[in-house]
Amino acid sequence: MAFEPVLTRNLGRPEVRTVRGYRASGGYQALGRALAMQPDELIDLVKKSGLRGRGGAGFPCGLKWSFVPKGGDKPKYIVCNADESEPGTFKDRLLMEHDPHQLIEGCVLAGYAVGANTTYIYIRGEYTAAARILEEAIRDAYGEGVLGASVLGSGFRHDVYVHRGAGAYICGEETGMLESLEGKRGQPRVKPPFPAVIGAFGCPTVINNVETLCCVVHIVERGADWFKSIGTDERNTGPKLYAVSGHVERPGTYELPIGVTFQQLLDACGGMYKGRALKAWIPGGASASMLTAADVDIRLDFDTLAKAGSMLGSAAVIVMDETTCVVRATLRLASFFAHESCGQCTPCREGTEWMRLILERIESGRGSEGDLDLLARVVPNVGGISLCALGDAAQGPVKSLIQKFGDEIRDNIRNRRYPLPRVPFFALGAVA
Amino acid sequence: MPTVTIDGRSVEVAAGTNLVEAALEVGVQIPHYCYHPRLSVVGQCRMCMVEVEGMPKLQAACSTPVTKDGMVVRTSSPQAVEAQRAIMEFLLINHPLDCPICDQAGECGLQDYSFKHGQAFSRFRFEEKRVYPEKERIPLGPNVMLNMNRCIQCTRCVRFTQEISKTGEIGFFNRGAHAEIGTVEGRPLDNPLSTCVVDICPVGALTSTRFRFAERVWYLDKKPSICTGCDVGCNITLEHRRGSIKRYKPRFNPHVNDYWMCDFGRSTHERYRDDPRVTSPAVRRNGQLVPASWKETIDAVFQGIRVKRADGVTAFLGSGFLTTEEAYLVARLARLVESPHRAIWVDSGPARAIPNLRGGIVGRDAAPNRRGVELAGLVPGESGLDAQTLLLEDGAERCAAIFVVDSDFGRAARDPKVVERLRKARFLAVMGWADTPLARAADVVLPAATHAERDGTFVNVQSRLQRFVRACPAPSQARPGLEILAELLSRFEAKWASVSAATVFDLLAEEVDAFSGLRWAQIPAEGQTLPSLSGTEGAA
Amino acid sequence: MSHLDAGNGLAPEVVAAVDALRSRYPTEEALLLPALHLAQRANGGWLSREVMAGVADLLELPVSKVAGVVSFYDMFHDQPVGRHRIRLCTNLSCLLRGADQLADQLRRELGVDAGEVTPDGRFSWVPFECLGSCDTAPMAMIDDDYHENLTPDRLRAVVSELD
Repeated sequence: MAFEPVLTRNLGRPEVRTVRGYRASGGYQALGRALAMQPDELIDLVKKSGLRGRGGAGFPCGLKWSFVPKGGDKPKYIVCNADESEPGTFKDRLLMEHDPHQLIEGCVLAGYAVGANTTYIYIRGEYTAAARILEEAIRDAYGEGVLGASVLGSGFRHDVYVHRGAGAYICGEETGMLESLEGKRGQPRVKPPFPAVIGAFGCPTVINNVETLCCVVHIVERGADWFKSIGTDERNTGPKLYAVSGHVERPGTYELPIGVTFQQLLDACGGMYKGRALKAWIPGGASASMLTAADVDIRLDFDTLAKAGSMLGSAAVIVMDETTCVVRATLRLASFFAHESCGQCTPCREGTEWMRLILERIESGRGSEGDLDLLARVVPNVGGISLCALGDAAQGPVKSLIQKFGDEIRDNIRNRRYPLPRVPFFALGAVA
Repeated sequence: MPTVTIDGRSVEVAAGTNLVEAALEVGVQIPHYCYHPRLSVVGQCRMCMVEVEGMPKLQAACSTPVTKDGMVVRTSSPQAVEAQRAIMEFLLINHPLDCPICDQAGECGLQDYSFKHGQAFSRFRFEEKRVYPEKERIPLGPNVMLNMNRCIQCTRCVRFTQEISKTGEIGFFNRGAHAEIGTVEGRPLDNPLSTCVVDICPVGALTSTRFRFAERVWYLDKKPSICTGCDVGCNITLEHRRGSIKRYKPRFNPHVNDYWMCDFGRSTHERYRDDPRVTSPAVRRNGQLVPASWKETIDAVFQGIRVKRADGVTAFLGSGFLTTEEAYLVARLARLVESPHRAIWVDSGPARAIPNLRGGIVGRDAAPNRRGVELAGLVPGESGLDAQTLLLEDGAERCAAIFVVDSDFGRAARDPKVVERLRKARFLAVMGWADTPLARAADVVLPAATHAERDGTFVNVQSRLQRFVRACPAPSQARPGLEILAELLSRFEAKWASVSAATVFDLLAEEVDAFSGLRWAQIPAEGQTLPSLSGTEGAA
Repeated sequence: MSHLDAGNGLAPEVVAAVDALRSRYPTEEALLLPALHLAQRANGGWLSREVMAGVADLLELPVSKVAGVVSFYDMFHDQPVGRHRIRLCTNLSCLLRGADQLADQLRRELGVDAGEVTPDGRFSWVPFECLGSCDTAPMAMIDDDYHENLTPDRLRAVVSELD
């Protein structure tokens, strides 16, 4: 699949980590062009491009920018969501470690569009290398006049600060992130008010994912029409980074037009690991419902997957072969959600733990006849009435387990034993 | 002001009113735990989910404001009812079945909503309930006990110590199903308002160490009253079982104490139980106090206070614990025996601050009614003896008779030197509920009722007149001070034969300017500022 | 692990580093996460009661709030840790490629359960959620570094090379 890389075009060129090197590869030209535009023009451009958020929610980026009130005496903020904690996702890390200036340019562009003079890059605490690389790139950017009191001599001030998280998936939720930025427990807030009106420190704030901001650079450089020409339709546009992991030959980040099919992506990864049969796969991170071998021709974009009862999310594709016990896989994801629940609201705090306990019982061979029915009744209440989307997300894997692998659960329960022998991944003496 | 329709009933509310409050306006109670009108809105218990027309998902009523016309809300639609049932189920799966040993039983948010909104069976059959090891009885501080297993993580207590008492002792720790409230080692929950967290905790996680295991709440008789700890006059609910007071709880009054009261105030009823009480009228014969009839004792006082000028003067000593009506009768009495010696003693106490939405209120007297007593006329007349002279100097030596109308007027009532000084008078009559050394030194003892056993009014530090009625009858032969004084007065003037606090108040309202125009039956439930006196007194 | 007394018990370089960040944020409270990272690093990888109280004092926050924040995040430890902290990813992608075997190996060869410190104080290990390196699964974060494409042998080798 030959696709001219856009976001990953600078991969393998460590010199782009400096301003000079980035400029030599064509960088910061988009910023120069944008500073000569009116901020509103920039917002319209991004709207026209059809760019949707690449963090998981898929919200139209230009529309989000347009929610920021104009004028007013409160400062505005850009918060770059670099928390990347969705299981199976590692594409933002790639972008930050290999092409930090692409992100910095995107932040300044966003700031210019909405009138914000400060960006906080909220990066998950575990990404120590990426944080260091970003800090160095930022220092260089200040030195070269790309950041500071007058960006590229335009008179527009913009500061970028790296703010490290400390290990909590819920800080990837917009308002959980804001709380954490403000020095508190990362517990999501009630919405409304929305961050565009009351965000960081009580001020209008735009929160965008790393990949989204990087896309903005190229939209400004090559135009909205170019961006729209890539992808499925005008609601699913642009290049997309797919992070593939699990039982494939070549796990990694693949940049392809949004809307490639799963089969096409699998082919790009060298096919199934050791040629084994596909059993289940997750298209977009832990919250996305599982799909099966029957779905390999599905297009991996926002709308197609939503219609199929799943989601594109962060485009973290996890592939499971025939040796996988899906009950165990679902239990692992259920444990993840239970561990990451912030604990504020009743349905998520109690419900994620309850689901985990039921699945643990089933997986360890202590399931009982009514458990499938019980799960089916409990799951709908965990989401829908929770304070934030984590409750909704936690439903995904369990729902799809019941819908698509009901037989396997029943088998587990009936036989009161682990149905599939645990195949040690590392056979004696072999190297993976 | 926008109009909102809730369960078919429409009402106009101030823009920004949340749906829980708006619903109360039309008599609909939306169930909730984490919401409290005085705490920040967190919307986290998810109990208050309601259906709002036009919105696909249920909305949390506490965090949904009414901003414009046309909002239509259904609090009991099938969707809302199912959500309420689900939340109750989630809350109960990990909740210990402690009802038989839990103080909260009978006034518990989980019990109440479980009946109304929950289900009658449990599906949590094989899993083990979450427990917080070693946290079943943790004293968070001197007044509050925590059982973390019962907590529903509503964080009302956390927000209270951050936003109301502003002392920040209680924090929220850990994440997810192991989230817990608690204090940090070395920094216990110890502020003047600490027991308020027990009031606002919907369940039995936080209980009062004073009230722990004291009584089942369904045996308690609950009567509105006023605290006598200081001159703030917090409105309280006095809860007793057959006259034995078990608990004070704050009663909402936005002008005075809002939803709160201090720990000290809560403890003030314990003296009625712990201190010895005068039970029978008595007169001194042959140097000994012997029980006598009411007629005998009142006759003795009647004789004793009418002295010959040559022998000395008659002085009266009251306290800040008298009701306004009682004080008025004492002043009347003093006038009848032509005595300007009308003294009142009030201890000053430590400042007690109660927050409210009007800047808060601070009490500095250790008694509730100095202002009312003074306004009613119990102040020294021209060249009359005052309390200072009587108690601390030699004023008593000039007295042929002293009538102390409150045996427990202050700390000095137990001071042997003060008792000695007062005893210098030839005739000493003492009325009151407490059997103090002063009472035991008297010639005549008149057992009186505590404030829980009589009707009356107090005027607080804001010059607010507050009315209260008796919660229970006085025990054995004790009688309300008002009745005793009226009977004494009827020896002088027949018209006092039959009185009540109401009739006395109406009388004094006609005579005393500060109360003009007021009538007992028309005193509002939340009290009334005396118009001529409202000033900045009492501001925090 | 001793500190020069800077009034609140924190090492002076920690206080100085926090001060240097003040201009970045409009509130004192926003300094809390950076301050805790700095204080933890200077205190051997964990936050004792005293250090937390020092940070609370420095930023004028109630201790209960600081302790509440510390207990919320997985990278802040309120109990002593080993000189080297091993965070083994056991989320789905790593699990699919053998992470559970590596967890068993750590338990066996280090001789301690997850969350415990080896008697010589050298190691502590915990299973961790997705660390964002799923294409190089299984992997672990040891101190500040990612160790990727682990096998039983490779993990053993990495651990043995740590002091």
